[in-house]
Amino acid sequence: MWTYAKWTFRVLLILLIGGFLHYTLPQHDIVRITNTYNRLTTVGSENSWAYSVPDTGTAESTTTRDIRFIDAAFEDNSVIVYRNEDTGWVWPPYFKYDSSNLQAEAGNLKSAQAAPKWVSVTHYGWRFPFLSIYPNAVSVKEVAGPDVRIIPWVNIVVLIALALGVFMLRRMWQQFWERTVEPAVAEVGQTWDGVEASAGAAAGSAKGMFGRIGAWLATWRGKPKK
Amino acid sequence: MIAIIRLVVFGFLGLSVLYILISLYSQSVRRESLEKKFDAGGIEGERDAYITEGMIAYQKGLRRQLIWLVYIVPMGVIAVTVYLVNYQ
Repeated sequence: MWTYAKWTFRVLLILLIGGFLHYTLPQHDIVRITNTYNRLTTVGSENSWAYSVPDTGTAESTTTRDIRFIDAAFEDNSVIVYRNEDTGWVWPPYFKYDSSNLQAEAGNLKSAQAAPKWVSVTHYGWRFPFLSIYPNAVSVKEVAGPDVRIIPWVNIVVLIALALGVFMLRRMWQQFWERTVEPAVAEVGQTWDGVEASAGAAAGSAKGMFGRIGAWLATWRGKPKK
Repeated sequence: MIAIIRLVVFGFLGLSVLYILISLYSQSVRRESLEKKFDAGGIEGERDAYITEGMIAYQKGLRRQLIWLVYIVPMGVIAVTVYLVNYQ
Protein backbone atom coordinates (compact mmCIF):
# COMPACT_ATOMS: atom_id res chain seq x y z
CA MET A 1 0.00 0.00 0.00
CA TRP A 2 2.71 2.41 1.09
CA THR A 3 4.82 1.39 -1.92
CA TYR A 4 1.95 2.31 -4.28
CA ALA A 5 1.54 5.70 -2.65
CA LYS A 6 5.26 6.35 -2.93
CA TRP A 7 5.42 5.36 -6.57
CA THR A 8 2.29 7.33 -7.46
CA PHE A 9 3.86 10.37 -5.86
CA ARG A 10 7.14 9.88 -7.73
CA VAL A 11 5.45 9.36 -11.09
CA LEU A 12 3.28 12.44 -10.55
CA LEU A 13 6.33 14.49 -9.62
CA ILE A 14 8.23 13.35 -12.72
CA LEU A 15 5.19 14.07 -14.92
CA LEU A 16 4.82 17.51 -13.36
CA ILE A 17 8.48 18.47 -13.81
CA GLY A 18 8.64 16.93 -17.28
CA GLY A 19 5.44 18.69 -18.34
CA PHE A 20 6.67 21.98 -16.97
CA LEU A 21 9.95 21.72 -18.86
CA HIS A 22 8.20 20.56 -22.02
CA TYR A 23 5.92 23.57 -21.86
CA THR A 24 8.64 26.11 -21.09
CA LEU A 25 11.67 25.04 -23.13
CA PRO A 26 11.89 26.18 -26.75
CA GLN A 27 11.06 23.84 -29.62
CA HIS A 28 11.48 24.20 -33.35
CA ASP A 29 8.89 23.45 -36.02
CA ILE A 30 9.71 23.59 -39.69
CA VAL A 31 6.59 24.90 -41.34
CA ARG A 32 5.23 27.01 -44.14
CA ILE A 33 3.56 30.19 -42.84
CA THR A 34 0.15 30.55 -44.42
CA ASN A 35 -1.43 33.49 -42.64
CA THR A 36 -0.78 36.16 -40.05
CA TYR A 37 -3.50 38.16 -38.37
CA ASN A 38 -4.80 39.42 -35.09
CA ARG A 39 -8.08 38.55 -33.56
CA LEU A 40 -10.07 39.77 -30.59
CA THR A 41 -9.65 36.95 -28.13
CA THR A 42 -11.37 36.31 -24.84
CA VAL A 43 -9.08 34.74 -22.33
CA GLY A 44 -10.99 32.86 -19.68
CA SER A 45 -10.02 31.58 -16.27
CA GLU A 46 -9.44 28.07 -17.64
CA ASN A 47 -6.75 29.05 -20.12
CA SER A 48 -5.33 32.35 -18.90
CA TRP A 49 -2.26 30.50 -17.59
CA ALA A 50 -1.26 29.85 -21.19
CA TYR A 51 -1.43 33.51 -22.18
CA SER A 52 0.67 36.50 -21.29
CA VAL A 53 -0.58 38.91 -18.66
CA PRO A 54 -2.39 41.86 -20.25
CA ASP A 55 0.17 44.52 -19.38
CA THR A 56 2.70 42.83 -21.60
CA GLY A 57 0.11 41.97 -24.23
CA THR A 58 -1.45 44.18 -26.78
CA ALA A 59 -4.40 45.86 -25.08
CA GLU A 60 -5.63 47.07 -21.72
CA SER A 61 -8.61 44.82 -21.12
CA THR A 62 -8.02 41.83 -18.90
CA THR A 63 -10.35 39.35 -20.53
CA THR A 64 -10.76 40.37 -24.16
CA ARG A 65 -7.91 41.75 -26.18
CA ASP A 66 -6.29 41.67 -29.58
CA ILE A 67 -3.82 38.83 -29.88
CA ARG A 68 -1.60 38.20 -32.89
CA PHE A 69 -1.70 34.76 -34.46
CA ILE A 70 0.39 32.97 -37.07
CA ASP A 71 -1.11 30.11 -39.08
CA ALA A 72 1.27 27.55 -40.48
CA ALA A 73 1.30 24.18 -42.22
CA PHE A 74 3.73 21.30 -41.88
CA GLU A 75 5.11 19.40 -44.85
CA ASP A 76 2.41 16.73 -44.43
CA ASN A 77 -0.25 19.49 -44.55
CA SER A 78 -1.23 19.18 -40.91
CA VAL A 79 -1.61 22.64 -39.46
CA ILE A 80 -0.53 24.56 -36.39
CA VAL A 81 -1.54 27.95 -35.03
CA TYR A 82 0.86 30.02 -32.97
CA ARG A 83 0.07 33.03 -30.89
CA ASN A 84 2.56 35.86 -30.93
CA GLU A 85 2.63 37.70 -27.61
CA ASP A 86 5.25 39.46 -25.56
CA THR A 87 6.32 37.34 -22.62
CA GLY A 88 7.16 40.08 -20.16
CA TRP A 89 10.05 40.01 -17.75
CA VAL A 90 9.46 37.17 -15.40
CA TRP A 91 7.95 33.96 -16.71
CA PRO A 92 8.55 32.28 -19.06
CA PRO A 93 11.99 33.86 -19.22
CA TYR A 94 12.18 34.69 -22.91
CA PHE A 95 12.13 38.48 -22.36
CA LYS A 96 10.36 38.88 -25.66
CA TYR A 97 9.05 42.34 -26.48
CA ASP A 98 9.27 42.42 -30.26
CA SER A 99 5.95 40.77 -31.13
CA SER A 100 5.13 43.42 -33.72
CA ASN A 101 8.43 42.88 -35.53
CA LEU A 102 7.99 39.14 -35.34
CA GLN A 103 4.53 39.45 -36.86
CA ALA A 104 6.00 41.51 -39.73
CA GLU A 105 8.78 38.98 -40.28
CA ALA A 106 6.30 36.13 -40.28
CA GLY A 107 4.10 37.99 -42.75
CA ASN A 108 7.10 38.54 -44.96
CA LEU A 109 7.85 34.80 -45.02
CA LYS A 110 4.32 33.78 -46.03
CA SER A 111 4.25 31.38 -48.94
CA ALA A 112 1.79 29.38 -51.04
CA GLN A 113 1.65 25.61 -51.24
CA ALA A 114 2.89 25.70 -54.84
CA ALA A 115 6.06 27.62 -53.99
CA PRO A 116 6.80 26.81 -50.35
CA LYS A 117 9.24 28.80 -48.22
CA TRP A 118 10.25 26.67 -45.24
CA VAL A 119 10.54 28.48 -41.97
CA SER A 120 11.87 27.30 -38.63
CA VAL A 121 9.55 28.64 -35.95
CA THR A 122 11.00 28.64 -32.46
CA HIS A 123 8.21 28.47 -29.93
CA TYR A 124 7.28 27.27 -26.48
CA GLY A 125 3.95 26.05 -25.17
CA TRP A 126 1.27 23.65 -26.28
CA ARG A 127 -1.60 23.66 -28.72
CA PHE A 128 -4.76 22.37 -27.02
CA PRO A 129 -7.85 23.11 -29.11
CA PHE A 130 -10.07 22.04 -26.23
CA LEU A 131 -8.69 24.80 -23.98
CA SER A 132 -8.04 27.23 -26.86
CA ILE A 133 -4.40 27.56 -26.00
CA TYR A 134 -1.61 28.15 -28.50
CA PRO A 135 2.17 27.90 -28.42
CA ASN A 136 3.87 31.28 -28.38
CA ALA A 137 6.18 31.90 -31.34
CA VAL A 138 9.51 33.39 -30.29
CA SER A 139 11.38 33.71 -33.55
CA VAL A 140 11.14 32.77 -37.22
CA LYS A 141 13.98 31.97 -39.58
CA GLU A 142 13.97 30.82 -43.17
CA VAL A 143 15.61 27.41 -43.68
CA ALA A 144 16.65 25.44 -46.77
CA GLY A 145 14.01 22.75 -46.66
CA PRO A 146 11.54 20.80 -44.55
CA ASP A 147 14.16 18.21 -43.53
CA VAL A 148 16.74 20.54 -41.99
CA ARG A 149 18.06 19.20 -38.71
CA ILE A 150 18.11 21.75 -35.92
CA ILE A 151 20.26 21.09 -32.87
CA PRO A 152 18.45 22.30 -29.74
CA TRP A 153 21.44 24.03 -28.12
CA VAL A 154 19.34 26.04 -25.71
CA ASN A 155 17.67 22.91 -24.36
CA ILE A 156 20.99 21.09 -24.06
CA VAL A 157 22.55 23.95 -22.12
CA VAL A 158 19.51 24.56 -19.90
CA LEU A 159 19.07 20.88 -19.01
CA ILE A 160 22.76 20.46 -18.21
CA ALA A 161 22.67 23.62 -16.07
CA LEU A 162 19.55 22.38 -14.25
CA ALA A 163 21.16 18.98 -13.59
CA LEU A 164 24.29 20.71 -12.26
CA GLY A 165 22.12 22.95 -10.08
CA VAL A 166 20.27 19.98 -8.57
CA PHE A 167 23.57 18.18 -8.00
CA MET A 168 25.05 21.26 -6.27
CA LEU A 169 21.96 21.71 -4.07
CA ARG A 170 22.26 18.08 -3.02
CA ARG A 171 25.94 18.51 -2.20
CA MET A 172 25.19 21.66 -0.22
CA TRP A 173 22.45 19.92 1.72
CA GLN A 174 24.73 16.96 2.50
CA GLN A 175 27.48 19.31 3.66
CA PHE A 176 25.02 21.18 5.88
CA TRP A 177 23.75 17.92 7.35
CA GLU A 178 27.18 16.47 7.95
CA ARG A 179 28.82 19.59 9.39
CA THR A 180 25.96 21.33 11.21
CA VAL A 181 23.06 19.01 11.98
CA GLU A 182 24.92 15.85 12.91
CA PRO A 183 27.32 17.54 15.36
CA ALA A 184 24.36 19.34 16.96
CA VAL A 185 22.46 16.08 17.33
CA ALA A 186 25.49 14.38 18.82
CA GLU A 187 25.84 17.24 21.29
CA VAL A 188 22.16 16.98 22.27
CA GLY A 189 22.75 13.32 22.99
CA GLN A 190 25.65 14.17 25.28
CA THR A 191 23.80 17.01 27.00
CA TRP A 192 20.81 14.77 27.53
CA ASP A 193 22.97 12.08 29.10
CA GLY A 194 24.37 14.73 31.45
CA VAL A 195 20.91 16.01 32.37
CA GLU A 196 19.70 12.53 33.11
CA ALA A 197 22.66 11.69 35.26
CA SER A 198 22.45 14.83 37.39
CA ALA A 199 18.71 15.18 37.77
CA GLY A 200 18.01 11.60 38.66
CA ALA A 201 15.28 9.29 37.46
CA ALA A 202 12.24 11.27 38.71
CA ALA A 203 13.21 14.58 37.14
CA GLY A 204 14.34 12.82 33.99
CA SER A 205 10.99 11.19 33.32
CA ALA A 206 9.14 14.44 34.06
CA LYS A 207 11.15 16.34 31.49
CA GLY A 208 10.27 14.03 28.63
CA MET A 209 10.21 15.60 25.25
CA PHE A 210 10.38 19.21 26.44
CA GLY A 211 13.52 18.43 28.35
CA ARG A 212 15.08 17.15 25.20
CA ILE A 213 14.03 20.24 23.24
CA GLY A 214 15.46 22.42 26.02
CA ALA A 215 18.71 20.53 25.91
CA TRP A 216 18.84 20.97 22.16
CA LEU A 217 18.20 24.71 22.52
CA ALA A 218 21.00 24.89 25.06
CA THR A 219 23.44 23.73 22.40
CA TRP A 220 22.74 26.95 20.49
CA ARG A 221 23.51 29.24 23.42
CA GLY A 222 26.92 30.81 23.73
CA LYS A 223 29.67 28.42 24.59
CA PRO A 224 33.11 29.31 25.94
CA LYS A 225 35.50 29.80 23.03
CA LYS A 226 38.07 27.08 22.72
CA MET B 1 8.55 49.22 -17.04
CA ILE B 2 7.25 48.18 -13.63
CA ALA B 3 7.87 44.57 -14.66
CA ILE B 4 11.58 45.22 -15.24
CA ILE B 5 11.94 46.86 -11.83
CA ARG B 6 10.17 43.90 -10.27
CA LEU B 7 12.52 41.51 -12.05
CA VAL B 8 15.57 43.46 -10.87
CA VAL B 9 14.41 43.68 -7.25
CA PHE B 10 13.26 40.09 -6.86
CA GLY B 11 16.12 38.78 -8.97
CA PHE B 12 18.57 40.60 -6.72
CA LEU B 13 16.93 39.20 -3.58
CA GLY B 14 16.85 35.66 -4.98
CA LEU B 15 20.44 35.78 -6.14
CA SER B 16 21.54 37.21 -2.79
CA VAL B 17 20.03 34.22 -1.01
CA LEU B 18 21.87 31.96 -3.44
CA TYR B 19 25.08 33.93 -2.91
CA ILE B 20 24.86 33.54 0.87
CA LEU B 21 24.11 29.82 0.63
CA ILE B 22 27.00 29.21 -1.75
CA SER B 23 29.45 31.22 0.38
CA LEU B 24 28.48 29.26 3.48
CA TYR B 25 28.87 26.00 1.57
CA SER B 26 32.22 27.00 0.12
CA GLN B 27 33.52 28.11 3.53
CA SER B 28 32.37 24.86 5.08
CA VAL B 29 34.08 22.78 2.40
CA ARG B 30 37.30 24.73 2.82
CA ARG B 31 37.25 24.38 6.60
CA GLU B 32 36.64 20.66 6.31
CA SER B 33 39.53 20.18 3.92
CA LEU B 34 41.83 22.20 6.21
CA GLU B 35 40.81 20.05 9.16
CA LYS B 36 41.43 16.88 7.21
CA LYS B 37 44.79 18.10 5.96
CA PHE B 38 45.89 18.90 9.51
CA ASP B 39 44.58 15.66 10.92
CA ALA B 40 46.49 13.71 8.30
CA GLY B 41 49.59 14.83 10.17
CA GLY B 42 52.90 16.38 9.21
CA ILE B 43 51.92 19.97 9.98
CA GLU B 44 53.63 21.93 12.74
CA GLY B 45 51.80 24.13 15.20
CA GLU B 46 48.35 24.26 16.67
CA ARG B 47 45.29 22.93 14.88
CA ASP B 48 43.02 25.97 15.47
CA ALA B 49 45.72 28.42 14.43
CA TYR B 50 46.36 26.46 11.25
CA ILE B 51 42.65 26.43 10.36
CA THR B 52 42.16 30.13 11.15
CA GLU B 53 45.14 31.00 8.97
CA GLY B 54 43.82 28.85 6.16
CA MET B 55 40.39 30.50 6.38
CA ILE B 56 41.94 33.98 6.25
CA ALA B 57 43.85 32.96 3.13
CA TYR B 58 40.57 31.65 1.69
CA GLN B 59 38.79 34.97 2.35
CA LYS B 60 41.38 36.73 0.22
CA GLY B 61 41.61 34.03 -2.44
CA LEU B 62 40.27 33.85 -5.96
CA ARG B 63 37.82 31.03 -5.23
CA ARG B 64 35.85 33.24 -2.87
CA GLN B 65 35.75 36.09 -5.38
CA LEU B 66 34.43 33.68 -8.01
CA ILE B 67 31.18 33.40 -6.04
CA TRP B 68 30.29 36.84 -7.44
CA LEU B 69 29.58 34.96 -10.66
CA VAL B 70 26.27 34.07 -9.01
CA TYR B 71 25.20 37.63 -9.86
CA ILE B 72 27.11 38.05 -13.10
CA VAL B 73 26.15 34.84 -14.91
CA PRO B 74 22.34 35.27 -14.68
CA MET B 75 22.63 38.91 -15.78
CA GLY B 76 24.72 37.79 -18.73
CA VAL B 77 22.22 35.06 -19.59
CA ILE B 78 19.36 37.56 -19.50
CA ALA B 79 21.26 40.02 -21.68
CA VAL B 80 22.09 37.32 -24.24
CA THR B 81 18.47 36.08 -24.22
CA VAL B 82 17.13 39.59 -24.77
CA TYR B 83 19.52 40.06 -27.66
CA LEU B 84 18.82 36.70 -29.32
CA VAL B 85 15.05 36.91 -28.94
CA ASN B 86 14.51 40.54 -29.89
CA TYR B 87 17.40 41.63 -32.11
CA GLN B 88 18.11 38.63 -34.33
